[in-house]
Amino acid sequence: MSRRLLMCAGFAIGVSVAAPAAAGPLDHPGYPKAFSCSACHGFAGNSRSDAMPILAGQHAGYLKKALQDYAGGKRPSAEMEPYAKMAIELGVDDVASYFASQTRMPTASAIDRAAAERGKAASAVCAACHGPTGKGDAAKDMPDLTGQPVGFLKNQLLLFKADKRSPGDAALMQPKAIIKGLPDDTLADLAAYYASQR
Amino acid sequence: MGVTRRTFIRTFTTGLALGATGALTGCAASMRGDFMPKAGKRVVVIGGGWGGATAAKYVRLGDPSIDVVMLEPNKQFISCPFSNLVLSGLRSLDSLTMGYDGLRKQGVKIVHAEAGAIEPDTKRVRVGEGYLQYDRLIVSPGIEFQWEQVEGLPAAKDRVLHAWKAGPQTVELAKQIQSMADGGVFVLTVPPIAYRCPPGPYERICQVAWYLKQNKPKSKVIVLDANQNIVSKTALFRAAWQAYPNIEYRPSSKIVKVDVGTREVATEIGDKVKYDVLNLIPPQRAGSIAVQSDLVGVDKRWCEVDHVTYESAKAKDVHVIGDSTIGLPVPKSGNIANAMGKISASAVVALLNGRPAPQMPPGNTCYSWVSDREAIAVVNSYRIASGKVVQIEQKLTPAQAVSVAQNAVGWAQSIWADVLS
Repeated sequence: MSRRLLMCAGFAIGVSVAAPAAAGPLDHPGYPKAFSCSACHGFAGNSRSDAMPILAGQHAGYLKKALQDYAGGKRPSAEMEPYAKMAIELGVDDVASYFASQTRMPTASAIDRAAAERGKAASAVCAACHGPTGKGDAAKDMPDLTGQPVGFLKNQLLLFKADKRSPGDAALMQPKAIIKGLPDDTLADLAAYYASQR
Repeated sequence: MGVTRRTFIRTFTTGLALGATGALTGCAASMRGDFMPKAGKRVVVIGGGWGGATAAKYVRLGDPSIDVVMLEPNKQFISCPFSNLVLSGLRSLDSLTMGYDGLRKQGVKIVHAEAGAIEPDTKRVRVGEGYLQYDRLIVSPGIEFQWEQVEGLPAAKDRVLHAWKAGPQTVELAKQIQSMADGGVFVLTVPPIAYRCPPGPYERICQVAWYLKQNKPKSKVIVLDANQNIVSKTALFRAAWQAYPNIEYRPSSKIVKVDVGTREVATEIGDKVKYDVLNLIPPQRAGSIAVQSDLVGVDKRWCEVDHVTYESAKAKDVHVIGDSTIGLPVPKSGNIANAMGKISASAVVALLNGRPAPQMPPGNTCYSWVSDREAIAVVNSYRIASGKVVQIEQKLTPAQAVSVAQNAVGWAQSIWADVLS
């Protein structure tokens, strides 16, 4: 992943009010390469459903890693594996930087404010890697969790807990150990907290 | 809708001449001559389903200077995916019915009328007593039924339900199932491939069997399949049917005759089956406009297209997408039609701007509900090699699961928005 793309991703996240003035979503070489993605992930990667993650404004390096993990079967998903292989053939850097450069529209799914408050209190353990509000870290391919759909976040936490997401991935052993120690209700609270963050 | 001065004057004067008032759309009387004169570049889209609506939107997104006119007789879009859940009472048809206002906001002009004929030589589409001029045409007419393939069906086609185009027939079939006596027999016939939505009949069997198991335990589902086996997600459907001993599946049982008087269907091999409720899904071909305008191949059923641009093999500047196409190794699914809509739109925008069309393959995600809360899925991805679409991979979910059903709901919400808003 080039330095320019990472900066581009950072810029899109830093500026939450307006899209970069220079270009619309269609000017990017990744736009037609991402045609298949919008059926589930929404136009420009802004999923409006509770189950599907928002790709807009996600760190490009993380998106690339996710696609490579799906394609190689490391992160098992019958739905994603064929599409990840397709994205890699078409040009994974173009696809990843296309979504990274889009302005994120936070989830439209309902957020339980009380749960989000409890989640905030429980989130200190996540902050070391994901940052205090869940913005992640582009340089470390750490995903931005802010504004993601509650249902998606909760489902991922449960997959981590059951070791069904990227089983055997050494880099994920520590977070999985933390998640295993948390009750499902707390995982739901954490999901509500990160979904509520902007 | 941006009404140009010329269009306004024309409409206004035509309206005056005919004594009609105002509305251009849906007003057959105003469709005389060149009823919406073309100023700049124009794309006409025939059909506002999964393919056509997507194409219309994405042409506008790709080049807002292109005038897009979409012809669709229905005022509202009804989703075929998820409509099998109406039969089991799990969803209402209303929850699958959506308007076209999102497309209007994208600047698509919608004329609620049927295309009468395509004239590729003059680049005109006949509508009512008038015509629309185009630079490029995208045809997405879906499927039509071959009633004549089943003896007795042409005369009884209003009473024998297909429910294979989501709408009033879906609601009517659900009512018939609900009012069937406990112990009644529901017969479903599966047409020979190729037909719209390969796993659709088998999902429907699950839904009806689930409903009957809960509500009418003495009833059964008899499946008369023209094909030799379940044609899609075979092992997953077989596994799902373990929960439904009320299903009697008969492969290689092509329907050739229906008698609504004796409530009996007959198969090619001479079996006769009595029914209380019949769901006969007839053999299919491309939508009528494609057949009448000779866009179909020698089989007189389906349309061959270029795998990159979706331009018809038979007519220049005419693109065909969705269920009416043949020759690509893809299923006739809503997801594929949506993909073809985006790809053909980007090809049309490129070609109208003097650029080569980008080489983009489609993808397919297809969920089937096997109970009230579990689903299965098949996913196909493709590449373009030497100008042809070929499959990279097909994957099936390992088993039926609630999580797959949750993804199905997410997919539906996202793709409906991708098609319509």
